[in-house]
Amino acid sequence: MTEKILTKDKQEEFLSRLIKVYQVFAPVEKEGNSLFSQINTPEELAEEYRNTKRPPKELFFPHSEALFRFRKGQVLEENPNEVERVIFGMRPCDAKSLTLLDMVFNGKDFKDPYFIARREKTTIISIACARPQITCFCTSCGTSPVSEEGSDILLFDLGENYLVKSITPKGQQLIDSLGDLLTDTQESDLKKRDELIKTALVEMKSEIPTEGLKEKLEGMFDSPIWEKIHLKCLGCGICTYLCPTCHCFDIVDEAVDSEGERVKNWDSCMYPQFTIQASGLNPRLSNKERLRQRMMHKFNYSVSNYGQTFCVGCGRCVRNCPVNLDIREIVKLISGK
Amino acid sequence: MKQIQSRLRQTARQLLSEGKVDLLIGYRQGSLPLKTTPCFVSQEEEAVGLVWNSFCTNNLAVYLPGLFRPDPRSRKREEKKVGIVVKGCDCRSVVGHLKEDQVPREDLVIIGVPCQGMIDEKKIVAKLEGKEIIKAKEQDGQILVVDEKGQEIRLAKGNFLRDSCQVCQHPVPPLYDILIEGETARQALSDEYAEVKELEERSIDQRWEFFQREMSKCIRCYACRNACPLCYCPECFAEQSQPRWVGTTDDPSDIMAFHLGRIFHTAGRCVDCGACEAACPMGIELRKLTRKLIKDVEELFGYETGVSVEEPPPLATYKLDDDDEFIK
Amino acid sequence: MEKKKPNNGGDQPQNRQWQPKIVAFLCHWCSYAGADLAGISRIQYPPNIRVIRVPCSSRVNPLHIIKALQHGADGVLVSGCHPGDCHYGSGNYLARRKFALLKRFLEFIGIEPGRVQFSWVSAAEGQKFASVIEEVVEDVRKLGPARRLVKNSVK
Repeated sequence: MTEKILTKDKQEEFLSRLIKVYQVFAPVEKEGNSLFSQINTPEELAEEYRNTKRPPKELFFPHSEALFRFRKGQVLEENPNEVERVIFGMRPCDAKSLTLLDMVFNGKDFKDPYFIARREKTTIISIACARPQITCFCTSCGTSPVSEEGSDILLFDLGENYLVKSITPKGQQLIDSLGDLLTDTQESDLKKRDELIKTALVEMKSEIPTEGLKEKLEGMFDSPIWEKIHLKCLGCGICTYLCPTCHCFDIVDEAVDSEGERVKNWDSCMYPQFTIQASGLNPRLSNKERLRQRMMHKFNYSVSNYGQTFCVGCGRCVRNCPVNLDIREIVKLISGK
Repeated sequence: MKQIQSRLRQTARQLLSEGKVDLLIGYRQGSLPLKTTPCFVSQEEEAVGLVWNSFCTNNLAVYLPGLFRPDPRSRKREEKKVGIVVKGCDCRSVVGHLKEDQVPREDLVIIGVPCQGMIDEKKIVAKLEGKEIIKAKEQDGQILVVDEKGQEIRLAKGNFLRDSCQVCQHPVPPLYDILIEGETARQALSDEYAEVKELEERSIDQRWEFFQREMSKCIRCYACRNACPLCYCPECFAEQSQPRWVGTTDDPSDIMAFHLGRIFHTAGRCVDCGACEAACPMGIELRKLTRKLIKDVEELFGYETGVSVEEPPPLATYKLDDDDEFIK
Repeated sequence: MEKKKPNNGGDQPQNRQWQPKIVAFLCHWCSYAGADLAGISRIQYPPNIRVIRVPCSSRVNPLHIIKALQHGADGVLVSGCHPGDCHYGSGNYLARRKFALLKRFLEFIGIEPGRVQFSWVSAAEGQKFASVIEEVVEDVRKLGPARRLVKNSVK
């Protein structure tokens, strides 16, 4: 895996060249909200951004996705294959979230061909975080602001230029194709990079006690603690929809008579309808059960199933919760710390 | 503010110790700057954690119908007295609950707090242009913000009030059991519906463009609905599946149908507390739509929401000489 | 949704002359009987309406209207008894308030005036029913096929 230098005056050309070959997605500012969207010129890239408001999961797992069309029980057309894409400017926490989604949609037992096709055809260029936000706690969640996990290429912003590090063969291939824009690293660049890594880790002030959390939650299903935690929860879907790892969905037929589409839509465990059964029975009757499910899923069930906490510490739910129900505080309360 | 806060704590302590309320809903310090968070106090000692400042934006009335609803398992309603801290707008939501018979008046202790307008966090964030806010506090009518570089920025509170506070005509709760003494400030506005009128004057295509743009931001998290004190339906039309009113896709048409349905359901009931807009993570200008209805309800039926429990809701009553012009 | 398809819900304007499709919610006691009278009196009116009988004009929920527009109606008509004639006493008075607000609201968000219309037609007004339909069809024809609020992802 190589490390190269991309001077910032060549960034535009770098992006332009990518745009010629790939569909390029990058953080953009759209109607006041930052999100990953396709760019057709380098200028569309948001000037300065940290964590985008909308996580990049929608590029692989869209809010609504037509799986196929049907007429009278016959499948007419399946979703076409995706084209080659590059996502530029992802943050390491979001890149990590994709590796978690892989476990769900490309796991041993179940495979989602739509998700897998998109993942395979996408190269991810991440940028290490030099300045974590006050709501960031990725270091508590098995990743870090400079983590390589999930990225094909990782950039370090060294001020005048980027240090470009290829992580995977896919990333290496992309770097090779743009080799003429890159120069060799100097000793001073590597020093600056180490400096950046050091400050980023120091700047990460927020944390949650994830150690032993899974075991702790094991016996807490009937704990009275949930009675208290859920009280202020409004039961909206902000935390789940803006979460980079939440992946629940619902499949519906959008059809008139016997013709239409089978559509996969995002769903949220915070919605009452999520668990309602045909009989009308709803096993998760109130916010208490729903919030417990969300916490259990992230910090217990997923650890059992995949060996990973399904929270990457991006802080989106903390920042956007309308009643300031802070997941960090919940975890602290659970761990009794 | 500080005085109001200490009076509030004292009142809360007293109500809890005398057993006049079993549960009191108020605000406490949030985990992030510029935020308070709703809190549910049932112990006298916890009253000391209550706060009152310019960040008490949440409309706590949103919790009331749920608290008084029978337990879905036992189908029994727990007997309890609930105290609630309300600003003018929150109180008008409570008036709506009383009018619609969602909350038993005898089990409710309304603690009114005169309001001087609340801060719109989003406006401050926008002003700081991407700088991270580390700390914030209120001092002599100013908001003191510290950014990530440790730089102190002083902001005049008046410039960062929520839009709903800027057109508020009821800073003092119209209905209360206890009124905390304190000053209020009402913003003098030449025309409270200026924003609505500006849109009304645009062409139909421009209005559609506006509506489309706002709706395009929606992620269907339903925060607007869940933050709204009036959206207390146990089952929302958006979630009904037999018949299914609205699809759950992100098709603009489905998104619009949801918002139109929800907003129209608040017609003649919405008190413009601004909770929907404040809760929206995507910054949809929902109040432009809700205020259009408030304006029309006033114009057509001469009705103001949330001031009287007795007056019948405008859409549940009629006059023989109501506007008939638009009907063939 | 990722794939967008043209709205084929109504008659396709490109293939033959486009005909507006109008959903008419008629109250059982007056307007529906008015339509009946128009029929048995052999009064001609445009065949563009699809009638949905409702017990009362106030039964019509704004969502019925929105849903009609979503799923292929080019126009919607709600018709009930004249004020004072409501079978249930006051249903049409309540409907009048609701629709006064709704009409303004729909126009506010950019739905063309004329797409959604209201009328009072009594059981004795077969002639009026026919002329209301004529007017509504003409208004909607002028506006062209509905493009706003239409759900495109599904036929």
